[in-house]
Amino acid sequence: MSHGHSAALEAHLDTANIRLGGAGLKARRLALAAGVVGIGASVLLGGAYGGEHGIFLIKSWLQVFLLVLSASLGALFFVIIQHLTHAGWSVTVRRPAELIASNLTWIWVLFLPFVVMAATGKLGVLFPWADLEHLKAHAPGEYDLVVAKSAFLNQPFFWIRAAVYFLVWALLARFYLKGSLEVGETGNVAVEARLSKWAGPSAILFGLTTSFAAFDWIMSLSPGWFSTMFGVYFFAACATTGFSTIIICCLLLQRSGRLQGLVSAEHYQDLGKLLFGFGIVFWAYIAFSQYMLIWYANIPEETGWYLARQIGNWPYVSLALLFGHFVIPFLGLISKWPKRMPQFLMLGALWMIAFAWVDFFWLVMPTIPHELAEAADYMAIVEAYRDAPTGIFNPINLTMTMGLVGIYAWATLNRLERYPLVCRRDPWLQNAVAFENM
Amino acid sequence: MSTLVTTPRESTGGSGVPGHRRVYGVIAEFETPGAILKAAEQVRLAGYRWWDCCTPFPVHGLDKAMGVKNTILPWLVFGAGATGTTVAFLLQSFTNSFDFTIWAMVWVTGYPFLISGKPLLSLPAFIPVMFELTILLAATSCFGLMFLFNGLPRHSHPLLANDRFRRVTNDRFFVVIETRDPRYRPGHTEEFLRSLGPVAVEAVEEEPCPE
Repeated sequence: MSHGHSAALEAHLDTANIRLGGAGLKARRLALAAGVVGIGASVLLGGAYGGEHGIFLIKSWLQVFLLVLSASLGALFFVIIQHLTHAGWSVTVRRPAELIASNLTWIWVLFLPFVVMAATGKLGVLFPWADLEHLKAHAPGEYDLVVAKSAFLNQPFFWIRAAVYFLVWALLARFYLKGSLEVGETGNVAVEARLSKWAGPSAILFGLTTSFAAFDWIMSLSPGWFSTMFGVYFFAACATTGFSTIIICCLLLQRSGRLQGLVSAEHYQDLGKLLFGFGIVFWAYIAFSQYMLIWYANIPEETGWYLARQIGNWPYVSLALLFGHFVIPFLGLISKWPKRMPQFLMLGALWMIAFAWVDFFWLVMPTIPHELAEAADYMAIVEAYRDAPTGIFNPINLTMTMGLVGIYAWATLNRLERYPLVCRRDPWLQNAVAFENM
Repeated sequence: MSTLVTTPRESTGGSGVPGHRRVYGVIAEFETPGAILKAAEQVRLAGYRWWDCCTPFPVHGLDKAMGVKNTILPWLVFGAGATGTTVAFLLQSFTNSFDFTIWAMVWVTGYPFLISGKPLLSLPAFIPVMFELTILLAATSCFGLMFLFNGLPRHSHPLLANDRFRRVTNDRFFVVIETRDPRYRPGHTEEFLRSLGPVAVEAVEEEPCPE
């Protein structure tokens, strides 16, 4: 069957061009080795650098877990909006995104350390609301705020919600990958229509689950604090890592000689636009909106969260985020040519992932000084925490990143090896290959 | 395949012979996007400068075939945006944070105004206005300059009075070479266009000037 593809296009759909084969074998083994060594080294270093109760170790795990999770969630978002808008241009870059998103079927494994913590009664070390007795004894002011939220912030409900998030993400990622694989085999338009039909409900489910996951896993680290736009902030972070990961994945596949003649500068320009629009500008818009409302209203139970990020050495990290996550990449990627130049776009995507890492570090690591709830004088606290370290040079950062990103890269390469790298019989494939930015 | 149409008052290109209208330019009509792509490349290679292609829909690769250079519009928009940021910051910091006097059409003095205990010069409070003015100036300059660069608004155009040219909104593709092109030679240019394999070549007259 010809499926209406031109001869030139059929030549590009040759197995050697759309199958990774053994080309990723070395990288895959390297990633697995980095993962195992990284996690092992982190656990070993946990005793020396993890602080009391290994708190730094577990926070670092949470931070890097969120980083790799956000890459898959961002990719899932990309896949859903392509179907939602019936986009033709993106067919040639959609399969890598689907495969990155399909990591959501196993990502719950990386959440197991928290299950172990809960099973041994230690969850309160990370999430203060999980150990109300301890909170009452150490921060009675915050205790009152947190008790009022215990209908939501209690362990049984927390675990039910976590299970729902993982289930929804796994089902969505599987649904879109399976459907795409079927279209790739048969060119069945009915399947494509089904994927589009469910894109709307999928987007709603995606929005709700990511927002609530952000409330549960990041915001509830400081359970006295709240921000109604926090879910959107996490979504913006997902866009940053997700689009960056898709870009890096496509560039590396092309560097290994795959997807030749299928993915062009036109596709990279559009992926770059999405990264620029969502991952850089929208992120900054949301981050600033959240900051400004709290700064202006100046209510102590809200400002405490930002105070924790402005005392000691934290201003350096906060400013690094402002310039590294917004100002510099904004100027760097605003033009057309950097998005069309593979080397520059690769640099931009890696840069954005590095600062997404800093972003999650900034979200997860700081703790609001427990004296704050009763404090009469803010400046006394600022003075007391004058030399508070950030822990950004803690070696666990390096080993943990190596570990979890290694495991994630290994799993992603596994998927890239197992499936065709492009949806071969997609009715829009010809359009996607011919796509040009006007 | 080409039905050649006589070019009325062919020899008048450029000069204002009484009773004869000036010739605005020559159009060549093509039937397919592929044909106009090839033709555009030939016209570019022949060294013409004052010419254009008119098509019913955007044709991929036509810019490249014509050798159209990138517009400088993005740089001007960036400049306008940066101006907006700067002006908004200066305006707000001057009016809210300082009390010196400057001359801006009239003598104006800043009015330091303490709002909810924030510092007089507090950037976060200024950013929404800086953002808005950036967008305002960038968007309006982009909109306005785009029209200006395109020579718009313009109420009429010689091509629009040509009957053959009307099919440009439906199914025909046209190359237009204007007589003001330094390489334009009456007769010679028409001959050149015919060599590109159009379905028709025709001269287009300037519109009559109102008496």
